[in-house]
Amino acid sequence: MNIPWRMRANSVFTVVALLSVLLIVASLLVILLPILWRGGSAVVFRGTVEFRRMQLEQFQRGDTAAVRAEVERAAGVRRHAYEIIDRFSAGLDTAGLETKARQLHREFGAQLRNRNLDDDDIFDLRELSGELRDEFLAALESSDNAEALGHLETILSRTDDERRLHGTLAAAFFDMAREYRDVVGRVDLSHREEYLDSLQQVKEAMQNLLGPQSSERLPAIVMEQYGATRWDQAQQHLDHLLWSETWVAVVPGQPLVKTRAPMEERFAGTELAELFPYVRDNAEAMLRPEWTFYWRYFLDDSMSGHYFGGVGPEILGTLMVTVLAILLALPVGVITAAYVVEYGRETVMIKALRMCVNTLAGVPSIVFGLFGLAFFVIYLQPKLGLPQGSSILAGGLTLSLLVLPVIIRASEEAIRSVPPSYKEAALALGASRFRCFVTVTLPAAMPGILTGLILSMSRAAGETAPILFTAGVAMGPIPTSIAQPTRTLAYSSYDMAVGDKMAMLAPHNQFGMVMTLVAVVLILNITAIIVRGRMARKLRGR
Amino acid sequence: MLMMEEPVKTKTTTHTPVPIPQATPQSAVPHSAPKELPAPIIRSEGFCLYYGKKAGVKDISMDIFPRSVTAIIGPSGCGKSTFLRSINRMNDLVPDTRAEGVLAVNGVNVYDRRINLVNLRQQVGMVFQKPNPFPKSIYENVAYGARLLGVRGDTLDELVENSLRHAALWDEVKDTLGKSALALSGGQQQRLCIARSLATKPQVLLMDEPCSALDPIATGRIEELIIGLKNEYTMVIVTHNMQQAARVSDRTAFFCMGDLIECGLTKTLFTTPTIKQTEDYITGRFG
Amino acid sequence: MSTATQSETKIESPMLERPLLLTASQNRSGWLLSHAGRTLFMLVTAVSVVAVALIFVFIVREAWPFFASRGVAEPLGSTAWEPQPHGGNADQFGMVAMIFGSLYVTAGAMILAVPVGILAAVVLSDIVPFRVRQAVKPVVEILAAIPSVAYGFFAVLILAPLMQTHLGLSSGTNAFNSMLMLAVMAIPTIVSVAEDSLSAVGRELREASYACGATRAETLWKVVIPAAHNGIIAAVVLGVMRAVGETMLVWMASGNANRIPGPWWNITESVRTMTATIAGEMGEAAVGSMHRHALFAVGLILLLFSLGLNLMTEWLLSRSRRKA
Repeated sequence: MNIPWRMRANSVFTVVALLSVLLIVASLLVILLPILWRGGSAVVFRGTVEFRRMQLEQFQRGDTAAVRAEVERAAGVRRHAYEIIDRFSAGLDTAGLETKARQLHREFGAQLRNRNLDDDDIFDLRELSGELRDEFLAALESSDNAEALGHLETILSRTDDERRLHGTLAAAFFDMAREYRDVVGRVDLSHREEYLDSLQQVKEAMQNLLGPQSSERLPAIVMEQYGATRWDQAQQHLDHLLWSETWVAVVPGQPLVKTRAPMEERFAGTELAELFPYVRDNAEAMLRPEWTFYWRYFLDDSMSGHYFGGVGPEILGTLMVTVLAILLALPVGVITAAYVVEYGRETVMIKALRMCVNTLAGVPSIVFGLFGLAFFVIYLQPKLGLPQGSSILAGGLTLSLLVLPVIIRASEEAIRSVPPSYKEAALALGASRFRCFVTVTLPAAMPGILTGLILSMSRAAGETAPILFTAGVAMGPIPTSIAQPTRTLAYSSYDMAVGDKMAMLAPHNQFGMVMTLVAVVLILNITAIIVRGRMARKLRGR
Repeated sequence: MLMMEEPVKTKTTTHTPVPIPQATPQSAVPHSAPKELPAPIIRSEGFCLYYGKKAGVKDISMDIFPRSVTAIIGPSGCGKSTFLRSINRMNDLVPDTRAEGVLAVNGVNVYDRRINLVNLRQQVGMVFQKPNPFPKSIYENVAYGARLLGVRGDTLDELVENSLRHAALWDEVKDTLGKSALALSGGQQQRLCIARSLATKPQVLLMDEPCSALDPIATGRIEELIIGLKNEYTMVIVTHNMQQAARVSDRTAFFCMGDLIECGLTKTLFTTPTIKQTEDYITGRFG
Repeated sequence: MSTATQSETKIESPMLERPLLLTASQNRSGWLLSHAGRTLFMLVTAVSVVAVALIFVFIVREAWPFFASRGVAEPLGSTAWEPQPHGGNADQFGMVAMIFGSLYVTAGAMILAVPVGILAAVVLSDIVPFRVRQAVKPVVEILAAIPSVAYGFFAVLILAPLMQTHLGLSSGTNAFNSMLMLAVMAIPTIVSVAEDSLSAVGRELREASYACGATRAETLWKVVIPAAHNGIIAAVVLGVMRAVGETMLVWMASGNANRIPGPWWNITESVRTMTATIAGEMGEAAVGSMHRHALFAVGLILLLFSLGLNLMTEWLLSRSRRKA
């Protein structure tokens, strides 16, 4: 009757169902790939000469002579850029000129007094110097080229006075005026304020890109001692240097719109304009990027927040907390499973036990954290003579409770799936029950127990909520005993994503942290899947 | 071949068993057999085994003599495996079992509270229906029981070789002792299981349908092996296959519904059964 | 040929060395040993029981002062959560908004995850060949294994900016973001439990339906899924448990605004859950303060909630097992 309709419904159902599986696979890829890809760039990237300098100075690794030579070569290329900036800012820096003019006038007065001239002369000359100064200051103050030029011409036209002042300090006013006349000829004074702001931006971008000039005093903060250590970062700073961004209200009342304009245009016609093409074309020579495989990322401690360095202490902390948790939970879990299988007829006790295990498995991880805080940290630690605070011990204990049900279930299943014929054979050969369990059942169940063990390790390594209040810190020294708190991969992943503003400056390290965590978990899980596959093949007969 | 001349021991009925006087209390040691016969190595008197309320075997009284093969035949679920597994107390694995009467090995009741299970099971070895080698190497399989006894080093190597030779497997595996036992064929696995049992130097070997999972050729080799081992070991074999029982055994016991119906020399039992039920079964009218 | 009769390898009877009966002292020590071992095992086994008991005792102990002084009317009757008294205003502990937040994101996640999860379970149990199933199962497992903090990281640093730029939302961390991510996290649980219960439905039932001329969709829809409904409901309940108990993701992705969204269906607003409140505020709640007791009280509510769901699943799964 309606066969075609039914067939169509059947196909639609099949397609929709298959789509759901595709959706799951796709979401795995969508989540994993960006994390792994961008995190991978913390380890494999194009490192610049600044990176090698940082590694040499901060981590004492690399060939000193080679790095020094490289720094020299880069500095040679950089020098010209700095010269351009110096020349340009000299003309623009009116604040400096102003101070200089005032100081000149004062020192001139002092010079006059020492000359033993009579008071009238002194008064005249001082008057003259004062006039020159005022005229010059007026020129500096003016933001109109013609007006400033007028003031300057007034100074320069007083050639008699120049002759009269020749050989004194005040003669410098004429040189300054001449110099400034050149600047005024080149620079549109009506934009001077803007130039100053933009120049500041340019200088900042240069500092970010290339680091402080070797002549400057070293900044105290390590991250400011170096320019862009990575080529991708360098390109961002280069972008900031070459483009200026402004937020403009295109339509009044609407959100501002970001507009980009080349920085070069802003300085069009000035000496500085030449800087931009120079830096753009010579950026590689200034920074010398090279592909770098920074495998020590997984061992190094971090510096300046997480700006430089790696995730070594986090891996170590994760390992310590996880291994402690497993060491505590594994014996208890396996013995519990063995007891349930070997002695377990469905008595009331076994039923109660099973219920407790299920309850334990269902407790939200944050509640484990609360319990760890209330019991291990606040109640138990003082009783053991330890300080009342987060510690690896408390974190390990808390996590051991969290993974206990996982281990019990996996072990129980593994022990149950050992064919009873093995046990019969061993018993028939005169093995005692205990002997039989240790020599036959346990080895045969081992792959299953191992799988459970690996999976619970991955679970413990990835959990954050239980260690928030029991073991984790965002920053801190590498612990030397299990009574101290530690950084862990999971906690730092959280902290770098949300809590740590400094980390935003180094997105590769943000992603590197979470990539390491995900990689650890993935490796453990894939190992478990392989172990289980082997086991299945073995049970099917080799 | 040892042939024992003994009157056929029967029980008269199946449905309403006549109560046999239970003269033997549990702790008592059974009396010795008549002089002209070798002393029975296993003696069962009024032995019953219950699974909870249900009886697995009821009131079994029979003797098993050394250096001979005794076959136990009967339809499925008649209790023949239950009886066999009682002899080395393998039924302990089943929860809620309870035994009555006497089942004695070498004059010691195996259901005595003071029984040394380890020694009992090493002296009464067992081979199971499906070959069940451990997932270990061939060598480790054979050495397992001996290791439990504390045998080490050269003695162990020697013992393993002897046991494998006894089980007619040595020539096939001598070069691959380190390989997994699971890689052997079914028949080889079963012979390995026999070798494994021999390694603990048992007196009695219980076989629970040892050939039911094997092909005819492998079955033939196991049967040859059983006949060959007869001079040294007492063997009790449970089988579904009456031809097999006729081929390998000296004496045969017929079980039905948990009762021992008839027990006697194989020749006699298969040619002139005294009980109608036995005749029906061996002629294939039921079962 | 039989090689069994070589007389030189004859094994002598070792009867004398191995008596069948134990001596009295052996018997006694054996009994002691086996019972001591068993008792030891039992004690170790009791660790799980003790752990559960301790968890309840300590959470209740810390939460009790809160309920003792504030009762249940305030936390369950108001949305005002002002844990620190400030500017003359007394502290307030209304938990309605955060309980609503927890249930809200969970419900949203379930609406997304349940259809996908069940359909995927159906695919794995009935539609694709064994090989494909073997390939997809690890994917599901890995999806379940990725730490929640990694999901949170993705939500904050990748998904939230995308939402801001492409959906024009003012904040990328909102209820919708958490719902999406929670759905992804709950799907593996739903798939694996539902697939188990679908596979547990016997072949015979399917064959009977096909024999009547039903298509695959009809067989699944009218026969297999109804037969497995207890297990499927259990799968959903387990998914709900995972979502309600989830901390890191919702803390990072939900925006943490302690209010009920304007129109209740506006999923682009920020919400805050119970778990996120505990995680976010425990650091600043002084030991012994009412704030800390209140947070433990929130934890107790969570614990009781998950216990209830747990009992429900077990009941459902035992029913489905009994049927199968």
